[in-house]
Amino acid sequence: MSLANRAGLSLDGDYTIEQKEAVLGYLLIAPALLLVAGVIVYPVLYNIYLSFTEVPLSPSQAPVWVGLQHYQTLVSSSEFWAALKTTVIFTFFSDLLATIGGLGVAILFNRKFRGRRLVRGLMLLPYVAPLIAVAYVWQLLLDPLYGVVPFLLSDVLGLYSGNLDLLNNAKSALWTVIAFDAWRYFPFAFLMIIARLQAIPSDMYEAAKIDGAGRIAQFKDITLAELKYVLATVFLLRWIWNFNKFADIWLLTRKVNTLSLYAYQTAFANYKQGQAAAIAMVLFVALMGFVLVYVSWILEW
Amino acid sequence: MVHTILTTVTDSFKTAFGQSRIETSLWERVVFYAAVGLTLVVSLVPFYWMIVTSFMPESAIYSLPPSFVPQELTLKHYRAVFSPETFPFVTYFKNSFIIAVVTGGLSVIVSTFGAYSFARLNYPGRGLFSRGVLLVYMFSGILLVVPLFQIVVWLGLVDSLGSLVITYLVQTLPVSLYMLGNYFRSVPPEIEEAAMMDGYSRLEVIFRITLPLSAPAIVAVFIYTFMIAWNEYLFASIFLQSQANFTLPIGLDALSSGLHQVWGQIMAASLLTSIPIIVMFVYLEKYMVEGLTFGSVEG
Repeated sequence: MSLANRAGLSLDGDYTIEQKEAVLGYLLIAPALLLVAGVIVYPVLYNIYLSFTEVPLSPSQAPVWVGLQHYQTLVSSSEFWAALKTTVIFTFFSDLLATIGGLGVAILFNRKFRGRRLVRGLMLLPYVAPLIAVAYVWQLLLDPLYGVVPFLLSDVLGLYSGNLDLLNNAKSALWTVIAFDAWRYFPFAFLMIIARLQAIPSDMYEAAKIDGAGRIAQFKDITLAELKYVLATVFLLRWIWNFNKFADIWLLTRKVNTLSLYAYQTAFANYKQGQAAAIAMVLFVALMGFVLVYVSWILEW
Repeated sequence: MVHTILTTVTDSFKTAFGQSRIETSLWERVVFYAAVGLTLVVSLVPFYWMIVTSFMPESAIYSLPPSFVPQELTLKHYRAVFSPETFPFVTYFKNSFIIAVVTGGLSVIVSTFGAYSFARLNYPGRGLFSRGVLLVYMFSGILLVVPLFQIVVWLGLVDSLGSLVITYLVQTLPVSLYMLGNYFRSVPPEIEEAAMMDGYSRLEVIFRITLPLSAPAIVAVFIYTFMIAWNEYLFASIFLQSQANFTLPIGLDALSSGLHQVWGQIMAASLLTSIPIIVMFVYLEKYMVEGLTFGSVEG
């Protein structure tokens, strides 16, 4: 009997409806499972193996087992520890700023006003527009000679003098990239938060008012309490994405060396793919560790 | 004056601080709209600058102080972008478009079948599969980039658009499955059962009833995958080698690092790269917002 018959494509056969449904279920999910197994699960396992090997430049040669060597190199490398620190600083502050920005705008937009739909749509543009486009326009805006941002900060506001290259100066580049990332992703936080904010029943505030709660108390005990879960989730999701962030940083500046960029350069500029696989493993284990601690302590799952 | 502004700023946050009635004081409205205006300025100024620069002559782009309102407009940069001998923008655009459309189409097919299986059919292992697929969501691009590159080299698929399509398809699959699965569950099962009573097979039910009812979710999955494929940089930068195969992100990156001070052309190309995404967004905003909140692998 052919597979098509078993799947219930034709009505004959000695199978019960449950069996036919189960076979159809497996058949329908099979392409997705095969793709995920081949393009995600297998490569992840292969990456673990590669991190213990020296990968030769020529694809015809097999990787050479070197044991823990790459991990030992990492632990004793100051560049690695600096990259880890940069990654944590970048992730924490870009996440925090995007979440606070999203919260502020969600609170602002949680009322009816003329043009709200249009304004909301326009506000989402930084998040929706292609990365390459927004990265370039920010490079132009931050250009030390002709950029608008240095002009405003230096010539108009007088915050600094001279031609400071905000993107290519090791000190300011990290904070510039953090600001860019917060600008690009606050709409994501906004979308998640506004949905929950609009679901808070207004009689909760009425009841609190009758009980004599002040505004600050209402904000803290109702708004923030009701948003606690969604805020924690937004922070976690952005943490996961920002911790792994590559293209957003790479396209703006080569001066901010997070673990992702460190791994990419090790693999494709220095051609040490085994070493890069080990960096990626550390990145993943650090992220998993954070997520597990976060989920058990903050989200109390 | 400053005091008035401060108090009205706090007041403009009144809904959150517990007052749901809309205030009518003039000052409050002024400050509220000023806050909305400030949000818009922060969000939109870079886009304004992109548009303006793409139409400005060089002399105005490289002038101090910057001219916020252009005195003179030119189409020169657009002509340069569309002339193939100087700027292979059309090739990049075409490659990106093919990859994005094929990825979106395949994603709709694979995830529709898979999501239906998760949502409606009963079999041992279903829960494990669906949770396992979501767990995969945690594996980032950077963890996959070295092994996938090795595999692609080993298979001799370097510089092929197909290897990128498969990569993007699978990276977006968990979200696509999740979005569609949720939608299928919201279709009342009674409709499907009634059709099966009438003698339709399960597959006929899927094609004639469930899929037409789920059109909005299918559109959302297509756009979501299209956007990811349109934007992706990391894998494109290592899989593609010949300029004829470049997609927009790496093509533009290569152009801008090769040429110096061609901001007018880069801004024209950036704007043209944004247009397909923004057009889709404007038309399909209501489908997209839901997808975006859960979506965006590495968003």
